[in-house]
Amino acid sequence: MAAPHDSSSSRYVQWSVLLLVVLTLVTLLVGFVWLPSAHPDFSAQGIWAAICRAAGVPAKWSEATEPVKPRISTRVVLADVARSGTSQAAIGHGATLALQQCTMCHGAQGITAADTPNLAGQYPEVIVKQLVDYKNGHRTHSLMQALSANLADDDIHNLAAYYASLPKPRLDTTADDSPPPALVRVGDPVRNIAPCASCHGGIDRKLGTPWLEQMPKRYLEEQLHAFATGARRNDSHAQMRNVVRQMTKEEIAEVSDFYARRGMPTGDR
Amino acid sequence: MLAHFWVAFIAFAAALVLGEWQMYVRSPLHGWVENPEHYYRSVTAHGTVMRYVLPTLVAMGFGYAITELSLKRPLIGLTWAWAGFWLVVIGTVMAATPVALGHASLLYTFYPPMIGSVFYYLGVVLVVVGSWVWVALMSINLRSWKKENPGATIPLAMFGNVAGAYLWAWTAVGAAIEILVLILPVALGFKDTIDAGLARVLFSWTLHAIVYFWLMPAYIAFYTIVPRAIGGRLYSDTMGRVAFVLFLVFSMPIGIHHLFADPQVGAGFKFVHAVFTAMVTVPTFLTVFTIVASVEIAARLRGGKGMIGWVKALPWDNPMMLAVTFSFVMLGFGGAGGIINMSYQLNETVHNTQWVTGHFHLIFAGAIVIMYFMIAYDLWPQLTKCRPLSAGLIKVQLWTWFLGMLVMTMPWHLVGLLGMPRRMAYFDYTHPDIQAQAWTVTVSTIGGFVLMVSGLLFIYILAVARKGAAEPAPFTFSAAAHPGERTPLALNGFAIWVTMMIALTVVNYGFPIAQLVSLKETSVPAVRVGGQ
Repeated sequence: MAAPHDSSSSRYVQWSVLLLVVLTLVTLLVGFVWLPSAHPDFSAQGIWAAICRAAGVPAKWSEATEPVKPRISTRVVLADVARSGTSQAAIGHGATLALQQCTMCHGAQGITAADTPNLAGQYPEVIVKQLVDYKNGHRTHSLMQALSANLADDDIHNLAAYYASLPKPRLDTTADDSPPPALVRVGDPVRNIAPCASCHGGIDRKLGTPWLEQMPKRYLEEQLHAFATGARRNDSHAQMRNVVRQMTKEEIAEVSDFYARRGMPTGDR
Repeated sequence: MLAHFWVAFIAFAAALVLGEWQMYVRSPLHGWVENPEHYYRSVTAHGTVMRYVLPTLVAMGFGYAITELSLKRPLIGLTWAWAGFWLVVIGTVMAATPVALGHASLLYTFYPPMIGSVFYYLGVVLVVVGSWVWVALMSINLRSWKKENPGATIPLAMFGNVAGAYLWAWTAVGAAIEILVLILPVALGFKDTIDAGLARVLFSWTLHAIVYFWLMPAYIAFYTIVPRAIGGRLYSDTMGRVAFVLFLVFSMPIGIHHLFADPQVGAGFKFVHAVFTAMVTVPTFLTVFTIVASVEIAARLRGGKGMIGWVKALPWDNPMMLAVTFSFVMLGFGGAGGIINMSYQLNETVHNTQWVTGHFHLIFAGAIVIMYFMIAYDLWPQLTKCRPLSAGLIKVQLWTWFLGMLVMTMPWHLVGLLGMPRRMAYFDYTHPDIQAQAWTVTVSTIGGFVLMVSGLLFIYILAVARKGAAEPAPFTFSAAAHPGERTPLALNGFAIWVTMMIALTVVNYGFPIAQLVSLKETSVPAVRVGGQ
C-alpha cells in the first residue's frame, strides 16, 4: 500500500467543491429562472413572482379577489368518543332523554320495525355526528331537525352514550349466510367504488361510519338514493356521494337487501 | 456476523414467500382476495423485511467482516456489536407482530395520515438505532486503525464500507424526524392530526438515499471481491473511491423526485432534485466501466485476444462471473427505467404504476440482492469453516434468480406503461379494458414462483454447507492493477465529502422543509388503521 500523496490533494478538494457549487448554482438558475420563464403561468408577473412560484410559494394563489365559498357539508370533527370513556351518569341521563324523545320511532330498546334506523349498539360518534348535523341543518328531516334543535351538546353526548351501551341485535347463528354481494366484499375498482365492508365493518371500520346489519332495507335504500341525488350531503369529503353516484338502482337494492337481512334468522324476511 | 446473515436470510425467505402469495392472489389464477386488508398486511411485511431488515443486517454483517478482514485486526466493540444486533432483532419482532395482527397495514413507507400501531414504529426505530450502533463502530474502528497506521491508505473495502455507514447515518435522519416528531405523538394518542405533506417530504429524505445504502455492499463486492474471484485485477482503486464519495455526496439531496406529483413542493425544487438524481448515474457508470475493465484484465490474463474476442476467454463457469454479468444486465434495465422515473416529465407516464415496482425489483432484488447472495457464498467458508459450496447448485440458483426476475419484472414494465396502478389487491379482469392485460399478471406470478424457488435454494445451499474443511484459505480482497498507485489524501478520508453531503442537503431540502413547517393549518386528521 502506498502512502497517500499530498501535494495534489488540496487541488482535488478545491475542484470538487467548486464543481459542486457551480453545478448547484446552474441547476438553481435553470430550475428557478429559465424553466419558469418559458411558462406563462409562472412568468406573467415578473421574475421574482416566477421564482417564488417555482419555490412553491406564489405571492398570490389566484387572480380571484374573493375566494369561492365552499358549500359546507358538515361541521362535525369526528372525535373518537368511545376512547374517552363514558360514565354511568351520562348513560342514565341519555336513557331519560331517549325515553322522552326517541323511543316513539326508534323503539324502546333502540330497535324497531318502523323503517327508522336501528340505534342499539350504534357507535357513539355516529350518533353524535348525525344529531349535530341535524341540529346545524346539514342533514334534513322534518322531525329530526325539530327534535335536535333543543338538544345541548351534553344531551347529544349522553344520548350517544346511552345507545352505544345497548346491546346490538345478536347476529343469529341460524342466520342467512349467503355470500355478500361483490360490491360489499370487493367493490368495483374500475368504477372507483370501494367495498362497503372496508368502512362499515367486515374488513375494517372507519371512524364515523355506522354499522348497518339489520337496518331496515327501505331506510338504507332511501339514504343511498338521497346521497346519489345530492339531497343528503352531510358525508364529509363526499365519501358516500362519490360511491353511490356510480351505483345502479339494482345495485343499491342489492346491497341494502344484503345488510337488512344480515344476521336475521332464515325465514324471517 | 453469521447471526446477522442468518436472521437476514430467514426473514428474506419468509418475505419472499409472502411476495409470491401477493402475486398469486391478484393474478387471474386466483379469485379476488376476499379481504384486501390481508393483501396490504402482506405487502407491509414484505416491504418492511426486504427493505429494512435484510439490507441492514447484510450491510452490518458484511461491514463487520470487512473491518476484520481488511484492517487485519479484531473488531473493536464486539459487545456493542451484539447489542446492535439484538436491537435489530427485537425491533424486527416488535414491528412484525402488529403487522401480522393487522394493526399496521401501512406499507413500509408509512403513508401518513394513516397511523398504525405504535409498536410498529418503535420496532422500526429500534432497527435503525441498532444499525446506528454499527455506524458508530465502523467509524471508531477506522479511527483507531488510522491512529495505529498514520499515513497509510485505507483499504478500498473499508473505505466503501465506512462511506456506506456515513451515508446511512445521515439519510436515516429524515425518517427518524418524521417518526419521532410527527408520527409517534399521533400514534400514542396525544394528537389527532398530522402534517402529511411535511411527513412525505421528510420521508423522501430517507426514501431515496436508503437505496444507495442497500447498494453499497453490492458495489463493495464489485470492486473488492469480483476481480479477485475471477482471477483478475481491479482496474483502478481510485475510481472505486471516487464512486463511493460521489454516492455519499449525491445520493442524499434527491429524494423529492419521489414527490413529483405532490402539490406541497415547488416545481423548482422538483427540477433541482431531478438534476441531482441524474448525477447519481455518474458513479454507476464509473463502476460499470471500472469493473468491465477489471474483468477484461482477467480475460486477457487467461489469453483472451481482440477487441471483443476477450469476452470468450472469461471464466464463464465461475459463479461470480455469472453473478456480476446478471447483476449488470439487471442494473442496465433497471437503471434505464430509473432514469425515466427521475425525469420530471417522463415520470408523469409511469408515476405510481407497476413500472415503478418493476424498476426497484430489478435494481434492488435483482442487481443488488444477487450480489448479497455472492457475498454470502464468498464469506461462508470463512464464517463457518465449511467445505466449498457446490458451484453447480450456486449456478442454478443464480440462473433461476436472474431469469425469474426478468420474467417477473418485464411484464410489470409493460403494463406500467399502459397505466396499471401499483399496490392493487385485485384487478377486475372481467372489465374489457383490463382483460387484455390479465396474462401479464400470470406471467409475473410465474416469474415470482421461480424467484421463490431460487431464494429457497439459496437458503438450502447455505444450510447444508458441511463442516470439517481444513482451515480455509485466508480471505483476500482484489489486488489493484497498478499496485503503486497513489491515493490522493482527499480520497483517504471523509471529512470533506460528508461536509459536502450535509451542505447539499441543506440547500436542496432546507427551504421546502422550512416552508412546510412554517405553513399554518396544514395538518389533516389521522386515519387509524387496523381498528385501533
